[in-house]
Amino acid sequence: MPPVTLGFLTVLQDTGGHVGGYLVTNSWGRPIEFRLTSAVQPTRMQAILYGGTLTDYVFGELLGKTLIEKTAIRPTLIVTDTPVCLALRPHVDVPIVAIAGSDRPAGVIELSHARCSAPLLLSERFDADRDRILTQLGGIDESVNLSEPFTRIREAVAEARKVGASRAA
Amino acid sequence: MRLEPLDFPLSLESEVCESRLLTHAPWVRSIGVSDWPIATEGWKFPSPPSELCRPAKPLNEARGEQPAPLLPDLSNPAAKPAIRPRPTADTVIFKDRLLYLLQPPLDNIFNGRQLELPFPPFPYQLEGIAFLMPRHAALLADEMGLGKTAQAILALRLLFHQGMIRTGLIVAPKPLIHNWSRELTLWAPDLPFEAFDGDAEDRRRTWLVSNSPLKLINYESLTRDVDLATDPRVSFDVMVLDEAQRIKNRDSKTAQAVRGVARSRSWALTGTPIENHPDDLVNIFAFVDPGRVPPDTPPKRIPALTSDGILRRTKDDVLLDMPPKVVRDVAVDLTPAQRLAYRRAEDDGVVHLNELGDTITVQHVFQLVMRLKQICNFDPLTGQSAKLEQLLHDMEEVADSGRKAIVFSQWVEPLHVLAEALEPYGPLQFHGRVPQNERPGVLERFRTDPTKHVLLMTYGTGSVGLNLQFSNYVFLFDRWWNPAVEDQAINRAHRIGQKHPVTVTRFLSEGTIEARIAEILEAKRRVFQELLDQADKPTNRGLSEEEVFGLFDIRARPFRK
Repeated sequence: MPPVTLGFLTVLQDTGGHVGGYLVTNSWGRPIEFRLTSAVQPTRMQAILYGGTLTDYVFGELLGKTLIEKTAIRPTLIVTDTPVCLALRPHVDVPIVAIAGSDRPAGVIELSHARCSAPLLLSERFDADRDRILTQLGGIDESVNLSEPFTRIREAVAEARKVGASRAA
Repeated sequence: MRLEPLDFPLSLESEVCESRLLTHAPWVRSIGVSDWPIATEGWKFPSPPSELCRPAKPLNEARGEQPAPLLPDLSNPAAKPAIRPRPTADTVIFKDRLLYLLQPPLDNIFNGRQLELPFPPFPYQLEGIAFLMPRHAALLADEMGLGKTAQAILALRLLFHQGMIRTGLIVAPKPLIHNWSRELTLWAPDLPFEAFDGDAEDRRRTWLVSNSPLKLINYESLTRDVDLATDPRVSFDVMVLDEAQRIKNRDSKTAQAVRGVARSRSWALTGTPIENHPDDLVNIFAFVDPGRVPPDTPPKRIPALTSDGILRRTKDDVLLDMPPKVVRDVAVDLTPAQRLAYRRAEDDGVVHLNELGDTITVQHVFQLVMRLKQICNFDPLTGQSAKLEQLLHDMEEVADSGRKAIVFSQWVEPLHVLAEALEPYGPLQFHGRVPQNERPGVLERFRTDPTKHVLLMTYGTGSVGLNLQFSNYVFLFDRWWNPAVEDQAINRAHRIGQKHPVTVTRFLSEGTIEARIAEILEAKRRVFQELLDQADKPTNRGLSEEEVFGLFDIRARPFRK
């Protein structure tokens, strides 16, 4: 089995719109690559035309897929703290799990694992990923909490925005 | 009347328009739905050298029967924040700032399977590691016994693992090289290191040819090899100075050699950043961050210039549950023979000093002080010693309880006498006359042999860097000039890993020079707060020249132009 490489994907709400942040780590959380997107803000027209599929499209296909395709290191498991990003799964050949939050989208299966204090979700359509996911989770260092790297991503994105703002000034 | 032409053209235009609709596709106007401008920016971080990339140990092998660490509930806002290195104000490259921000918490790293550790570091040690890692200029000034060596090694290890450094040089006093080797093996078994050893040619090879990522050298060898150390081909990503007070004299050859080595990061370790004078700290910073603190900086300005680069914790700060240190001052009455010899020596000495008039120097006074202190230890004619009688009494109790003791003296000769007198307790000696290569064996025997209850040490050889926390008693047979050195000696035993209270016995001969010196030093110790904490303080922890003259009732003073 190739070494476990984790991709932590999140979407944050910025004043300019949605910002994607993506951190690739090794199995014990050491950062290997980090990438973020510019802010994306759908226009009113786009919101009308995409309707109910807008969030899936923006979070999954637009931000998530772009980040993963542009990143040089390919993960063996993608973890997201934004369950909507499970919509990314049909567009990449990497299993994805989401950390369950307060709102739970339809069409997901719940599983629990020692590497995360909250339940994990995977897309019902990709139930076949379950074994791959469990294998990958088993290869993660036991000190890693899958929720933790998102704190780092948020700080890094904030730092990047701060630097961007100071550059602009 | 011109009405006709108006009707006719209208009907003609209508016909042309219909004709275009029949033959052309209708026009389409984009409303921009598919226009999603998105840009990304990314950073790749360095990888560790391949020799450090070892597969993680299997779960059962790494942890044995111990349960896996409990994951913190990150959703709980009251949960203790994780300890992570943070970029410092002088981390200007954005990629470097990101790299520190994106590091996993240190608690996670040390709790996991990736790093082999003898035991997990204490939380304050994690903070020390997080302090060192992002800093290119750092002084770790924790009180003796809090594990500065382990913190430095673990910070180095993580930086090597992250690929942020590839070469390092550790400089330590000669007696501590063995200790560093042992600690490196303990805390960083995956980090190859090489100690400078052998003749000039061997050392030349180590400087210029060896690929060992981490090298270990003593101050004397570094000073001797200064030409090689400052060779343009030699440079290090990090240089660590242990017992950095060794460079407190800015103009010494040692300090100059140390400062001459090319390096990216400069870390200094010392429990006594100010032994005698605020300049000690200024001169350490001449290595840590050249130019940050100019040599003539007023003491009040020093904290503002250095505070970001210094981390100091005391045992009171961090180890509330550490076994206590009980200090007892035992006043002994000189034996009649000692008293007689003492009075005669003091009277004659004072007369002699006064006779010197303005040719007197502080050295003359020191000679008399030394003579009197030696008499306080042993009567020169009979060998009687009130302190020895008390020590023999105390040692009986130490040995009966199966404990071990360390006895410190300023001189080697009293230790030889003590060794004979303490024969029933298996005395071992550790001082400058014990060959360097035999010293580790002495300490090992003291640690492991249950019949060896007492170790006799000089302050000069045994006061720094040694881990003797298996001893529970420390005797200061005579007193040193500087409380900081005494503290260092005491902290050989009262340090991390100590499981029992440590009793420190300071012998003082009543009505003698010892009591007078102790009084002055104790007053200074109380008044003197570390410069790190306050700027407005006395400038010297040892005795000033005036204080030395004041030890005796003498009128003579040096001639001043």
